[in-house]
Amino acid sequence: MSETTLGGIAGRMPKFLRRADPAVVTAFACIVILLLLGSLYSRSFLSPEYLLQQLKVASFLGVIATGMMLVILLGQIDLSVPWSVATGAMMACAAAAYGSAGVALAIPFGVLCGVAIGLVNGVGVAYLRIPSMIITLATNAVAQGLMVVYTGGFSPQDSATAAMRYLATGFTIPGVPNAVIIWALIGAAMVFVLTRTSFGRAVYGIGNRERAAYLSGIDTRRIVLIAFAVSGGLSAFGGVLLAGYASKAAQSMGDAYLLPSIAAVVLGGTSILGGRGSYLGTVAGVILITLLQSILSVMQMPEAGRQIIYGVVIVAMLLLYGRAPASR
Amino acid sequence: MDGAAPLFRMEGISKRYGGVRALEKADLTVTAGGIHAILGENGAGKSTLIKIMAGVVAPDEGTMTLDGREVSFASPAAANQAGIVCIFQELSLIPELSVADNIVISDPPKRFGMIDRKAQRRIAEEALARAGASDIHPCALVKDLPLSRRQMVEIAKALARKPRILILDEATSALTAADVAKVFEVLKRLRSEGLALLYISHRMNEIAELADHCTVFRNGRNVASYPAGSKSDNEVVELMIGREYSHIFPPKPGPTAAAATVLEARNLSWADRLDNISLSVRAGEVVGLGGLDGQGQRELLLAFFGVLRGLSGEILIDGKPVSIASPTAASHGRIGMALIPEDRKTEGLMLPMTVRENLSFAALDRLSKGGIIDRAAEQRLIDDMVGLLAIKTAGLDIPVGALSGGNQQKVVIAKWLMRQPRIILLNDPTRGIDVGTKQEIYQLMRKLADAGAAILFYSTDYDELIGCCDRVLVLYDGGVKRELVGAEITEHALIASALNIHGEGAGPRQGVGA
Repeated sequence: MSETTLGGIAGRMPKFLRRADPAVVTAFACIVILLLLGSLYSRSFLSPEYLLQQLKVASFLGVIATGMMLVILLGQIDLSVPWSVATGAMMACAAAAYGSAGVALAIPFGVLCGVAIGLVNGVGVAYLRIPSMIITLATNAVAQGLMVVYTGGFSPQDSATAAMRYLATGFTIPGVPNAVIIWALIGAAMVFVLTRTSFGRAVYGIGNRERAAYLSGIDTRRIVLIAFAVSGGLSAFGGVLLAGYASKAAQSMGDAYLLPSIAAVVLGGTSILGGRGSYLGTVAGVILITLLQSILSVMQMPEAGRQIIYGVVIVAMLLLYGRAPASR
Repeated sequence: MDGAAPLFRMEGISKRYGGVRALEKADLTVTAGGIHAILGENGAGKSTLIKIMAGVVAPDEGTMTLDGREVSFASPAAANQAGIVCIFQELSLIPELSVADNIVISDPPKRFGMIDRKAQRRIAEEALARAGASDIHPCALVKDLPLSRRQMVEIAKALARKPRILILDEATSALTAADVAKVFEVLKRLRSEGLALLYISHRMNEIAELADHCTVFRNGRNVASYPAGSKSDNEVVELMIGREYSHIFPPKPGPTAAAATVLEARNLSWADRLDNISLSVRAGEVVGLGGLDGQGQRELLLAFFGVLRGLSGEILIDGKPVSIASPTAASHGRIGMALIPEDRKTEGLMLPMTVRENLSFAALDRLSKGGIIDRAAEQRLIDDMVGLLAIKTAGLDIPVGALSGGNQQKVVIAKWLMRQPRIILLNDPTRGIDVGTKQEIYQLMRKLADAGAAILFYSTDYDELIGCCDRVLVLYDGGVKRELVGAEITEHALIASALNIHGEGAGPRQGVGA
């Protein structure tokens, strides 16, 4: 597992793999190693049913991490994920209680609530120049407060609509869960945006050197605002899917997604300082985190131990990638 | 040098930054009880010399002797220990602390491991009195003092370190005329107490009043050393000019029929950096900005490009007043402005990104439809630019940071030419690049002007201004002090007006308009 072995393997790899970001290759290698280690514990870790189940669980995190990646590429961070997720889920379920129109509009309404949180974040970061770490933490607290007021602090009684349940648990293509298809579509859209559009170029430019991007005539504030809005919307959409998965929303259902979403992006080789990273890496990071979680829980690792392992893994990865010297 | 045994001597000092030679076998001799002025153009090596003396940077070669013994300083603290104290151009005080705290900050008096506040106050009072600023209360916070008082505290702070050699690097640039007179009293008293003083200033009249001895630096070497008052201002300016190589500049077209004015400023002011600037640039004209470094030239270019907030005055494009709120507004639409920024590494390029991404970055809106980049169009335009500017790169998909400085600068210029700008602002575009690339840039500038672009060109290199510009505006203290046209643009005129020693502006200082 040492770097020299990995380097040796990389040397013998086909050309298209050698050109790939070493961080992405490392992340995929870690996935394989995790699966092999797991299979020593139980044969079922390699069964197609288990893997498909993991992919489905991963897709919720994948949707949320997609938005997070966009923000991290800018060199910012979005800490309002937990209650953006919960707000999306609760508001979608709440809309469902208002007749057939409410049922039809449940999903867009939930997503729009997340976009609203993201817009507040974006205005704060881009126009008011508040550090993203502060403003997103603050909007997270406000969203939490609003949801507690709405629910009275109890578990919300509204349940998810059929459409939400279908998106999260149904099958359009036999054998492939809908959640996985949704993640694949959102992922493909993000790859297109990042590589083929002027918006994507601007995101990388701002992440690398905001001043140079600004002096190149890029409307940097608009780009930052849009990125935060997208992140909020995708977090809320993740919440909508989770509500569909569990049939209803729950208090603090998003808490379990903040650290994993950041970890997934960083594990996939996206620089926490912004400007560098590919979506393929985020996919690898999401799968890696999901597998790690699953294997730790199958091994009956207590929650405390799991948290410690996340934290340690993130610090280790930051040391590996975030410290790479900038070329100058 | 003859006379008394020198207190401090530097011999054969050389220093390179990367490939750029800052000092080349420079010598300097300092005697006790004298004020020694150091003169030179921007980049002549004065600041580097001072930094080496003060232990801020280490020389590549050469020796320094103090009292006849060879010394070397690992840090500014070591230089202070040896009695060499420097007052730098930029203030080094901490605004949130009191005057007394600042004065003793590097070595506070201690009692039982804690700072002895009584002793600290006594030291501060003594130092302030020596600096002739006993009216400043030692317990006042530095942030509550006006700039000129802070400068006095800075001098007191230096004196509290009991220096034998005191270096003042443009230390009077923030002072009012009354304060300057006071500081001069203090400096003369220190001289009579036997201190050696090194004085760096661009203000010729100050040097004439103060200095006993002068040394002129040019291109990293000391070219002349003479007793103060033995040379006229004109002779000194000629010593500072010199030249090692001459550039090949494209021929100027000479006076042509007046084209339409494209860019115009009326009474442009900003904070205390730009002072009532009016200028105009016609299509096809290269207008230079001259003057010493930091007299408002950069701010003027940024003001045109919509970067500065709180600007007063008017900017006119094609004779119509416009408000330019951001670089986006300046570069897009009918204004069509481009700025080649000062620092290509932090302002012009995103170094880790590829050559391709950097080249098309400023023109993305033109290369995309509905936000989606037209890759074929992008490739075509990039090929054109790489060919036009002869950018040497191992490929379009390598990081731009891997290119040489000259080629990086070409990428910065090319990325703006992709927008076909009508107005081009250049902020010292040839700094730190090789002579060959410089020539290509001069040719290109003239070519763009001939094609109808209006060019505003700031350079710290006087040769460039002479070789490239149809007109030069010389800035001093944020205002345009002189306009030189055609044959009037000579090194002598440029330097003389940059130092503001010509015409009616010869007084010590004009009050900065509020």
